[in-house]
Amino acid sequence: MTGALVGTDSIVWVDSVDPATAVAVAGSKMGRLTELHRAGVQVPQGFAVTVEAYRRHCAESGLDERIDQVLSGLGSSPAEHEVEQASATIRGLFSETPMAAALEAEIVAAYEELADRVVEVNPPTAVRSSATGEDAADASFAGIFDTYLGISGPQRVLAAVRSCWGSLFTTRALSYRLRKGISHHDMPIAVGVIELIHARASGVAFSVHPVTGKPDRIVIETSWGWGEAIVQGLVDPDHVEVGKADNRILKYEVAHKKMVSAFDFAEGRVTEIAMPERLADRRVLDDEQIVAIAESVKAIERHYGYPVDVEWVISRHRRAGDPICIVQSRPVTVTATETTPAAYDPVALAQKYIFSGKPIPGR
Amino acid sequence: MTNVVPVEPFTGEWYPGYKPEFFDFPYVVDAPSPFKPGDEQAFWFLDFHWSRGLTPLAATLWSADGYCHGTQSASENLPLPPGRGVTCRFAGTHLYGSPIPEDDPREINARAQRLARNLPHFLQNFTSIWEAGRDELEDTWNYFQGIDLTKVPREDFPKLLHQARRYHKRAMEIHFAVMYPMLVNFLSFYGSCAEMGIDTNLIGKFLQGEDTKIMELDRELYKLAIKAREAGLSQVFAENEPENMRQALLAHGGSASQWLTDFDDWLQVWGHRSDATCDVGVPSWIEDNTNAFGNIKTFLMKDTDHDFDAAQRNAIEEREAAIEAARSGLTKEEQAVFDGGLAANRAANFPWWQDDHNFYIDLKVMLPLRHICQELAARVGADDKNDMIYLFWPELLEVANGKPYAGELRSLVADRRQYFDHWFHKRAEMPKVLGTIPESVEDPVLIEIFGINPGSLRAVQNPDAAEQTQLAGVPAAKGRAVGVARVLQSSDELHRVAPGEILVCESTSPNWTPAFGKIGGAVCDGGGMLSHAAIVGREYGVPTVTAVGVATIAIKDGDTIEVDGTNGKVTILKRAADLAGADT
Repeated sequence: MTGALVGTDSIVWVDSVDPATAVAVAGSKMGRLTELHRAGVQVPQGFAVTVEAYRRHCAESGLDERIDQVLSGLGSSPAEHEVEQASATIRGLFSETPMAAALEAEIVAAYEELADRVVEVNPPTAVRSSATGEDAADASFAGIFDTYLGISGPQRVLAAVRSCWGSLFTTRALSYRLRKGISHHDMPIAVGVIELIHARASGVAFSVHPVTGKPDRIVIETSWGWGEAIVQGLVDPDHVEVGKADNRILKYEVAHKKMVSAFDFAEGRVTEIAMPERLADRRVLDDEQIVAIAESVKAIERHYGYPVDVEWVISRHRRAGDPICIVQSRPVTVTATETTPAAYDPVALAQKYIFSGKPIPGR
Repeated sequence: MTNVVPVEPFTGEWYPGYKPEFFDFPYVVDAPSPFKPGDEQAFWFLDFHWSRGLTPLAATLWSADGYCHGTQSASENLPLPPGRGVTCRFAGTHLYGSPIPEDDPREINARAQRLARNLPHFLQNFTSIWEAGRDELEDTWNYFQGIDLTKVPREDFPKLLHQARRYHKRAMEIHFAVMYPMLVNFLSFYGSCAEMGIDTNLIGKFLQGEDTKIMELDRELYKLAIKAREAGLSQVFAENEPENMRQALLAHGGSASQWLTDFDDWLQVWGHRSDATCDVGVPSWIEDNTNAFGNIKTFLMKDTDHDFDAAQRNAIEEREAAIEAARSGLTKEEQAVFDGGLAANRAANFPWWQDDHNFYIDLKVMLPLRHICQELAARVGADDKNDMIYLFWPELLEVANGKPYAGELRSLVADRRQYFDHWFHKRAEMPKVLGTIPESVEDPVLIEIFGINPGSLRAVQNPDAAEQTQLAGVPAAKGRAVGVARVLQSSDELHRVAPGEILVCESTSPNWTPAFGKIGGAVCDGGGMLSHAAIVGREYGVPTVTAVGVATIAIKDGDTIEVDGTNGKVTILKRAADLAGADT
């Protein structure tokens, strides 16, 4: 099993790849999981199908030529429907083009290794696109590549990996690159295959206020089940604010949560369904969980030295005192417009509120 | 389109015998006067403080020395960066105010620099600054108290008049020099709280529950009422009108005589107050007992006594709960700002001062001048002791200097009394605003004290205001009350309000405070969150809605109305006219 643990050109494991090269070989999403793991943060088990594997697949299967053919037909400023057409064509190519047998075998072996690690037959996984330059290319790319939750069994995992590759060519991604004149060759994609945490609740957490940028608080948004419904904006989540200095809960607003990302056993994946009525208005997080999330976010911010935005999951099996599982982390793009002053300063406040010619806030 | 309400109907003639030089007083930026052509370019609001109208002497001295000199010099000295105080004009006997903006950016910046130097010093030394000013005024008050006017030589009157006028002017310098920085401090705290996400309805509560001299006066008045009941005098009070109460009590004899002695002793301590703001035309409670008797009469009509201690305990409990609720939602860093702001505002507590100072300044500062005028009237053989307050200052000095009070001057006074009465009865018809009406104003004094905000500005421009049955305003003091509306022009009518009824007026000043011990609710045309009605409504736990704009127009005396002080809504449930119709 040593080979699988250390990894190959095509497969690297979150817990064993060299963090210095993790982002380069496994993409930013998976690379950051490695960095978090090294920093002592609880992250799920998993491996990445590397950027190199993707490159080789495109080169050796003849996909590169066929993609270039489609793209060259587009011209310099194509109409939206033309881009949509090209996107559909290319994504079709990805799903019908088989992988090299050797790569397939490596992925299947890694999946079996994962099953062994989590001690479960055909464990459900999260198959996530992990683009290179996803952080650097600003928020425009955040979350636009595909993620599939609840993928179980080797064949479904292989199909999901191909779909993730294809998501490098969504209409939005294509339009963006065309506009910016970036070649898809400059931003190849890796795919993460990660143990799916059995989520009781999930959410996002920001180490600063995501709108005002105020650095004195943690903001948490949460709902029952998996986090997709929150990330995609399908559910109005509970909103929690926590004082960063003392972990005091400043605000807990319980939302009416209409949708939930839940495991659909017939489909064999996580899908979005209507929230059961009894859960819709129930408060999701207790105080202990909130503090645990806040502590994790603060640890991650300290590790990176800049404000972060994380996705987290509370497993059905988590007990009070256990760490929170972090499934994703990235820098926060908001910059603070103003910070909380250190003390009450009536002169500065008078200038701001009374003599500015603007109405006093709240009036 | 900007709405312009013409001032033209109010220009031209003023008080009979008025000459423009009678308003020739030193001023800082803009001098008071009757309305004149061109004034429609500014925005004017009817000032609720003087709902009776003002006599010639009251109008000129208050507007020149108080309104204009007081506010304009204080806003230069602090300074207020974009505001240079207020100025005023008269439409008949009625005073309209207007803010004086400063719009030169360079000047504003220079003033802001000065504010930054002056404000911290003031806030750090508030107690000693205010007490020094207050004590200076009390010394001057005591000086006048020590004078037996009946024994003053005739030739000393000009000097005495100058001294009394100077006392008022100095009081107004102190008044506004303290009020402006306190207001700035309060609004800074307010803005900071709002920005930190604190429910702004809580902010007024953070500073409540502090005892004021005015509240002490009201408690003492209440004690007199209880004494009257214990002496078995409730019946006498119930059966007689306030104007005849003294005679009725004297006729009753027995326990009433002792009570009257106590009452007169009480007046010597607390009766040096007029039911007006710096108005030389209005008597003190010693001179005219009507309002004191009237208040006691209505207190005795209440089934249960107003429990001052319980009200204060509630105010304090509510304050502490509000502070706790606000703090718990703040980060540690924000709590430091909040705590600092709260401490600064407790040390220089604007809502507290806004009530307390009236005892030392507004309610009595014109009394020495009034008494000198009355003594002079006696010396010159005037028909009425108040004839002199119908003179203008230069005319008054001439009389003091020996000019015979006769002939033309005497007949002018008679004409001016008629003029005053004429305009007194026109008060309800006076436009609430004149000139160029903005959508909103920036001056915090206008917003927070006068209650001039976009809502009230829209309300006063509604031509159908008299028909409205749903009104909205500032939710000044929480709670809900249903009762019969008593629409009053001035606090002289307070005895018309029975316990549990709803007080409806232009706005209240401290001379209205005794009413809050008996009313079920209050609705005012003007008054912001920091107005007297709002502050006292909170202290007494009386549901209050202010800045309605047209309450005295839409609500008719005797209507049954609902006051929702929590949400700032007033509903007219039944018209008095309909009720009367149903009876017949």
